[in-house]
Amino acid sequence: MPLPAKAFQRWLHGIAPQASTADICRISGVKRTTLAQQLVRGKVAESTVVSISRAFNINPVAALATFENYSELAASPVLPSAAELVSQIATMDLLKAVIARSAGAAGRGGTDAPEHAPPLTPAPHATSVKNWVDAIDDGELRHRVSTATGIAPQNYSAQLTANRLTPELAIATSREAGVGLTGGLVATGMITEAEAGWPPGARQAALDALTDGELAALAGERLQALGKTLKRQEQDHEQTKTIWENLG
Amino acid sequence: MIEILQWSTLAICGAAAVARIPSAVRGENRSLFYIFVLATLAILLSIDGPYVAIDRLLGGTNVTNLILRFVIFAVILLVGYRIARGFGAPASIRLILGPIGLGILAVIATATLVLFLLADTEGSVAGLTTLPSRSPRNAQLIELYAAAGRLYPAYVAASLLPATLAAASSNLAASIRWGAGLLSVAFVALPAGTLYPLLPDELGPLKALINYLAVLSLMGGLLTIWIGRVRAQPPARRSSTAK
Repeated sequence: MPLPAKAFQRWLHGIAPQASTADICRISGVKRTTLAQQLVRGKVAESTVVSISRAFNINPVAALATFENYSELAASPVLPSAAELVSQIATMDLLKAVIARSAGAAGRGGTDAPEHAPPLTPAPHATSVKNWVDAIDDGELRHRVSTATGIAPQNYSAQLTANRLTPELAIATSREAGVGLTGGLVATGMITEAEAGWPPGARQAALDALTDGELAALAGERLQALGKTLKRQEQDHEQTKTIWENLG
Repeated sequence: MIEILQWSTLAICGAAAVARIPSAVRGENRSLFYIFVLATLAILLSIDGPYVAIDRLLGGTNVTNLILRFVIFAVILLVGYRIARGFGAPASIRLILGPIGLGILAVIATATLVLFLLADTEGSVAGLTTLPSRSPRNAQLIELYAAAGRLYPAYVAASLLPATLAAASSNLAASIRWGAGLLSVAFVALPAGTLYPLLPDELGPLKALINYLAVLSLMGGLLTIWIGRVRAQPPARRSSTAK
């Protein structure tokens, strides 16, 4: 749920009493028209607060927590679970890890070949939202989120498939799953891992802790999902071509 | 009101046909050009002024109305085939071009011709509106003749509706979904035309409204898909397109 403009103005005055709206926009990179529109409508997007707090070196989570509807973020952060951490590793990074491990195994005892895969690309990745929910889902999670928030299950699924989730739903999902409240905000790319208080290298550590079997199975699942998505895209492309050939 | 609708529909179809000329010259999808030309002709023949003028030239026996029916059949057949092919609907192709579809077309076309010949059609009048009042027999014949003329478009539209509805709710490009949506509107409006005899006389203007809604959404759907393709093409190829 977007933030009320009044509360936003109060917050803004608190962090930058002297700055004009133009200054704020220049420093934070928020478009002036966007901010003006949000203020006129009385609803300011969470991403606006995140951008502005970054510009003023304030932790975005702490900034959001000053608003009434996000006050629960003020509680001390819960560290992400291993499954959450791994869910935020891009599919290609998982595959690279598979290759690096098998190369390491083959080269063991031989030359001192570097065993480490290149550093992980920062979260989020192309399917991070859905992977995150899958990682924390006990089988009933989607149902509980839709009961708690009133969102229709198919709309919730549609958001996950589109790799989107509103901040409100992301937090509700965390709450219903009983995990740290900021995990979903990282998965949607609203905040970074560091801003959420994830220790540096946490994802790499979680990846290293996976056994070869777990890693291979996980990479396989991801690859299969990727294959499905690509196939669907190719089908759509093919269908578009047929339509244009006949009706274009 | 109806007059404005008629002439603007004519203008839109005519413009679409002219805009299709360059691609028709290049040999791209000539049938689409023919569809727009025939649709323009059909609309021209359904407007009072041009209808009477042309029919007088042809002897004043309302044979123009018969020509109009067959022009509509041709447009519908072409549109149906193209849309079924485009949306990858083999079931629709079979229903339209299979033995059943062509059989239905043959029966309806024969019925249209026979009913026209049996009726007293002397004296040009657009839409044959005054002919039924001549005799109870004529009223019946003209009613059946008009019903036959609406039946074939309704049949083809109903065969295509599942395919266009599926495309409208798919994940394809927005222009295709909008185009398929407009086509779906047309394919609901055309079968609705078979219910005209059930409408009370006071709702006469509604009939014309549904007719032009069908024509406009059909042409609009085709145009939307075509424009979507032109816009998606790389600029190099687009510049070779005059429009």
